[in-house]
Amino acid sequence: MDLKSALATQGYISTRPATQPKPEPGGAAAKDTGSFAKVAETLEQTVRNGEQTALDAMTGKADPHALVQALAQTELAVETAVTVRNKVVEAYQEILRMPV
Amino acid sequence: MSDLALSKLAAASGMQAQAERLRFVSENIANTDTPGYRRKSVAFEELVEGGRHTGLVETGPVRLDPGVLPRIYDPSHPMADPTGYYDGSNVDLVVEIADAREAQRSYEANLKMFDQARQMSKGLLDLLRR
Repeated sequence: MDLKSALATQGYISTRPATQPKPEPGGAAAKDTGSFAKVAETLEQTVRNGEQTALDAMTGKADPHALVQALAQTELAVETAVTVRNKVVEAYQEILRMPV
Repeated sequence: MSDLALSKLAAASGMQAQAERLRFVSENIANTDTPGYRRKSVAFEELVEGGRHTGLVETGPVRLDPGVLPRIYDPSHPMADPTGYYDGSNVDLVVEIADAREAQRSYEANLKMFDQARQMSKGLLDLLRR
C-alpha cells in the first residue's frame, strides 16, 4: 500500500514537467504578445467602451444609437468569451473523465 | 474591428443621421407659420477621419432654403408693412412630410441592416455552441 502510493507520487512528479507552461522563447522578460492575451484585451476594451457609452448616454453626452451599437458589440463580445470559456471547460472535463 | 462590427457601426451612424434629419423636418413643420422663417435642410456626407474614408455617414452643415418667402396679405398682422403684407415662411408641408417619410424609411433600412449584422454574428457564434 505504502509502496503503491509512493509509486503514484513518483509518477505524478515525473509527469509534472509536461503540464508546466512552456517558457517563452525570448525569456521571461519578453512581453507576452500571445494572441489569446490580445483577444482578452480586446474584450476588456469592448466592455469598457460599452460601459462608458452607457454612462455618456445616461448623462446626455452620447446619443442612443451609439449606446445601442456599443451594447450590441459588448453583448457579442461577452457571449463570445463565455462560449469560448465553455468550450475550454468542456475540453478540461473531457480530459478529467479520461480513464487513467 | 471585424466587418460585421463595422457594418453595425455604419448602420448606427446612418440611424443617427436620419434622426438628425427628422429633427430639422420637425423644426420646419413647427415653424410653418413663423414670419420670415426659412426652411432648414441638411446634406449627408461621408465621415472622413484623418484623410481616410470610414464609410460612416454624418450630417453636414445646416443650409437655409434661399427660396423666396411668400408675401402674405394681412393688414392686422403686427409685422405687416404699410401695404398690409408680411413675409411668411417658405416651408412647404407636403415637402416636409415627404422628407419625414423618407427619413423614416431610411431609418428602418438602417435598423434592418443593424439587425442583420447582429443576427449574422450571433449565427456565427452559435456554431461554437454545438
